[in-house]
Amino acid sequence: MTKSMHIVKLSIGYLLKLLLVTVFIFPFLWMISTSLQTFKETLAFPPTMVPAVPQFINYVTAWQSGPFLTYFSNSAIITISIIVIQMLVLIPAAYGFAKYKFKGSSFLFSLVLLAFMIPGQVTFIPVYLMMSDWGIGRTLLPQIIPFMTNAFGIFLLRQYLMQVPEELIEAARLDNASEFKILWKIMIPMSKPALATIALFSFVSHWNDYFWPLVMTDSAAVRPLTVGISMLRETEGISNWHVIMAGNVILVIPILIVYLFCSKQIVKAFVYSGIK
Amino acid sequence: MGKKRVSSVIRPYLMILPAMIGIGVFVIYPIFYLAYLSLHKYNLMNPAKSKFIGLDNYADLFARDEFYKVLGNTALYTFATVLITLVLSVAIAVWVSKNTKFNQFIQAGIFTPHIVSIVSIALVWMWMMEPSLGFLNYILKSVGLPTSQWLQSSSTAMASIIFVSVWQGIGYYVLIIVAALQGVSPSIYEAASLDNASKWKIFYKITLPMISPQLFFILIIMTIGSFKVFDTVRMMTLGGPNNSTNTLVYYIYQNRTTNIGYASATGMVLMLVIGILTFVYFRMLANKVHYQ
Amino acid sequence: MASIELKNITKTFEKHDVIKDLNLTIEDGKFTVLVGPSGCGKTTLLRMIAGLDPQTSGQVLVGGKDVSKTAPGQRGIAMVFQNYAIYPTMSVRENIEFGLKNNKVPKAERIELVESISETVGLKDYLDRKPSTLSGGQRQRVALARAMVKKPSVFLMDEPLSNLDAKLRVQMRIELIELHKKLGTTFVYVTHDQVEAMSMADKIVLMNKGVIQQEAPPEVMYHTPSNQFTAQFIGVPPMNITYVREKQLTFGFRPESAAIGRSPQQGLVQTSGEIITREMLGSETIYQIKTPLDTFMIKSIDDQYRVNETVYVSLPEEKIHFFDDQEKRIAQDSSLYLDKIQALRGQYYG
Repeated sequence: MTKSMHIVKLSIGYLLKLLLVTVFIFPFLWMISTSLQTFKETLAFPPTMVPAVPQFINYVTAWQSGPFLTYFSNSAIITISIIVIQMLVLIPAAYGFAKYKFKGSSFLFSLVLLAFMIPGQVTFIPVYLMMSDWGIGRTLLPQIIPFMTNAFGIFLLRQYLMQVPEELIEAARLDNASEFKILWKIMIPMSKPALATIALFSFVSHWNDYFWPLVMTDSAAVRPLTVGISMLRETEGISNWHVIMAGNVILVIPILIVYLFCSKQIVKAFVYSGIK
Repeated sequence: MGKKRVSSVIRPYLMILPAMIGIGVFVIYPIFYLAYLSLHKYNLMNPAKSKFIGLDNYADLFARDEFYKVLGNTALYTFATVLITLVLSVAIAVWVSKNTKFNQFIQAGIFTPHIVSIVSIALVWMWMMEPSLGFLNYILKSVGLPTSQWLQSSSTAMASIIFVSVWQGIGYYVLIIVAALQGVSPSIYEAASLDNASKWKIFYKITLPMISPQLFFILIIMTIGSFKVFDTVRMMTLGGPNNSTNTLVYYIYQNRTTNIGYASATGMVLMLVIGILTFVYFRMLANKVHYQ
Repeated sequence: MASIELKNITKTFEKHDVIKDLNLTIEDGKFTVLVGPSGCGKTTLLRMIAGLDPQTSGQVLVGGKDVSKTAPGQRGIAMVFQNYAIYPTMSVRENIEFGLKNNKVPKAERIELVESISETVGLKDYLDRKPSTLSGGQRQRVALARAMVKKPSVFLMDEPLSNLDAKLRVQMRIELIELHKKLGTTFVYVTHDQVEAMSMADKIVLMNKGVIQQEAPPEVMYHTPSNQFTAQFIGVPPMNITYVREKQLTFGFRPESAAIGRSPQQGLVQTSGEIITREMLGSETIYQIKTPLDTFMIKSIDDQYRVNETVYVSLPEEKIHFFDDQEKRIAQDSSLYLDKIQALRGQYYG
C-alpha cells in the first residue's frame, strides 16, 4: 500500500466516525436551533436550519408558561437531599458489610441485592398509598425518602472497601483511633473515587428522573423540572415546537454543561459502575 | 468491660440499620402490600370499604386480550432493543476501541444522550419524527425514499420507540465494551497473529470469548431495564396508536387510579418476570465464577 | 519498657486449637525473634500480644500488668506490619502523628516529636509527601517512625523486611539492630527467615505447629539445638541427620563440620562418596556427596573438587550430635552419649 492510499483510507475512517457521532449529537443541535426560531420558521418545509433572527423570547415564553422557578428549585432540592441522605446511610452500611463479621450478614446483604433488583415500577402503587396515609403526599418527601437506601451504592462501596487491607484498620486501632475516626479519617478519604461515582450516578439519575415524580405528584407545587417540561405540550399546544424546544434546552443545558467540562470523569464513573 | 463487648457486637447492626430500614419500608413492605392489594377490590376513596376478592384480579388479567397484547409488545420491545443494541454496540466498540484522543471524543459523543433526561430525548425525537415538518422525513425525501408516519401509525410507532431507546442507551454499552476490549492482554493478540489467525477468526475465537462476561452483564442489565420501559411510551405515544406501543408498566400506570387491585396484580406479574430474569442472571454468574 | 508474659495461652480458630497452653516470657529490653515455618503460630502469637486477635483463654501481661482485656490502642504497644499499612491518603507527617493526635498529645509537643523522629529515620525532607510517591525503603521508614513516635514500651514487627529487595533487606537489618540498641526497648520480631533470626536476635524463640521448640540465643541454638527440628530449621544448608540401621542410632553434623579430601583422614566417622552437585558461593563451596551412609551436604572453603569426583569424608568426634527416638538431642555429658560414640567408633563406611 502506498503512503497516499494509506492517508485516504485513514481520512475515510475519520469521516465515518465523525458521521457516526453526528447521529448522536445532531438532535441536540436541532433542538437548540428550533428553540431560537419563530413559529413560522418551524412550519417551513424543507426545515429551517438556522433561524434568521434568534428568538430568545421563546425562552421567556416557555419559562412563564408555568411555575418554572418552583420546578427548578424542586429538582435541585430533591436531587441534593437524596445525595446527602444516601451518603449518610450508605457509607456506614457499606463499611459494616465490608469489614465486620456478624450473624446474619449474608442474609441482610441479600436483602440489599433484592432492593437493587426491585424497581420503582413495581413498588410505586403501595408507596404512593403509604405516602398519602402518612399525610406527606403533598410535600417533596415522597420524591426523596424512598431513595434513602442506595442499594447499588452500598454494593459498589462495599466492593471498594473490601479491597482495603485489614492491616490499615489494625494499624489505626493500635494508634488508638476510635471506630468513627477510622471510618472518617481513613476509609472515607480512601474511597473518594467510589463515592464520587455514586454521587454522580445519583445526580444524573434523579435530576433526569421522570417516572417517579410523575406517579408521586398531583400538584405543580411539588413537581420537578422533568415533569414540568413534559407538560409544556399540554400548556403550550402540541405544535408550538419552538417554545417546547426552548423549555427543553432549559432542562438539558445544566447537564450538558457539566458533561462538557468533566466528560472524562463522568465516562470513567459510568464505566466503573459497569465493570464491577 | 462487659458493656464494651456488647457495643462491639451490636455496632455492625447499628451501622447497617438505617439502610435496612430504608429497604424494609420502601422495598420489602411495599412488595407485601402490593400482593395484598392484588387480592382486593381496592376503594381509593374509602379504603375501609375495600373487599377481599381472592385471585379475581389475576383471573381478570389473564382473561383480557389487552394484557397479552401489552405483554407481547413489551417482549417485542425488549427483544428488539436488546438485540440491536448488543450487535451495534459491539460493532461500534470494536471500531473505536483503540485508545486515542479522537476515539475518546467519539465515545463521549455517542454517550451524550445517556446522561440526558428521557423527557428531553423524547421531545426532541417527537419533533424530529413529526410526519409533515420533521427532520427525518425531510432527510428521507431528499434522498428519494418514501416518508414515514413514525409515531403516528400503529405499524411504525413501536419501531420508532425502539429506535429512540437504542439511540439513547447504546453509548453506555459502547463504553463498557471498549473498557472490556482494552482489558484484554495484548500478548494474546500477538500470540494469535504469530499463529497466523485471520482478523475475523481472532474476533470470534479470542475477542468475543474474552469479553463475554461483560456482554453477559450488559445482556441482563438491558433485558431487565427494557422490560420496565415506560418513559418513552408515556412521553411519545401514550401507548397508542391503538395500543400498539402499550407496555406492561404503562399498562399498570393507566390502571393505577381507576383499578388499583388490577394494576397491583399486573405489578406482581412484572415482579415475577424481573425475578426470573434476575435468578437466571445469578445462576449463570455463579457458573461463570466457577469456571474462572 | 516492659517485659511480656504469656500465661497458659490458648487460641482456637473454628474449633481447632492453633496454640494450646503456651507459656512464654519475653525479657524486657531484649530483641526477641519469633521464628518458624509458615502456619506455626508465630504471627498469631504476635497478634495476641497486640490485642488484634485476642486469645481464647489465658493471660497476656505487659510490664507485669494484665492487658488481656485492654484494647489494642491502650496497651502501650506499637506494631510494624508486613505491608507497612501506611494510611495512603495522609502525608508522611500525618501518618506519623495520627497516633499522637488520638492520644491527645499537645500540638507543640507533637511537632517536636515528629521532627526528631523523622530526623532519626531520615525522612525529614519527605514529611509533606504522600506515601504513594515514596520508595519501598522509605515506606518502611515511615512505618518505623509511626511506631517509634508513640514511645511504646514494646515494639512488635511482623515480617517487616519481607517486601524489600535483598540488598535493602540486609541494610535494614543492620539499621534495626542499631535502632534497638539506641532505644533499648523490648522488640518482638516475627519472621520465617532463620537468617534474619540469627543475625538480629538477642534471643530466638523457635516455634512449630503451635509449640515452642526452643528458646535460646542464636549461638546456643546453633551449637546445641534441642531437637532434630531445631537442628534442621536453623542453618543453611541444614544439619545432616542420618539414621544408621545396623547400629540403631541417629546422628547429625553441620555441613561445615566434615572434612573432605582426596585421601582418607582421621575422624570418628569415615566414609567416601561421589560429588553429585557443587555450588560455588565465593568464600565457600557446598558439595552434595553420595556416600554409603547417606547423601550429605558438606560445606568447605576448598573449591578444588569437581562433580563426579570421589572424595573421602571424615567427621571429628566433638562435632557429632546424637538424637534419641523422640528426636531430642542427647546431651554430651550423659552416659547414653558415650554409648553412642562407642557404637560408631573405628568403623569405615564405604
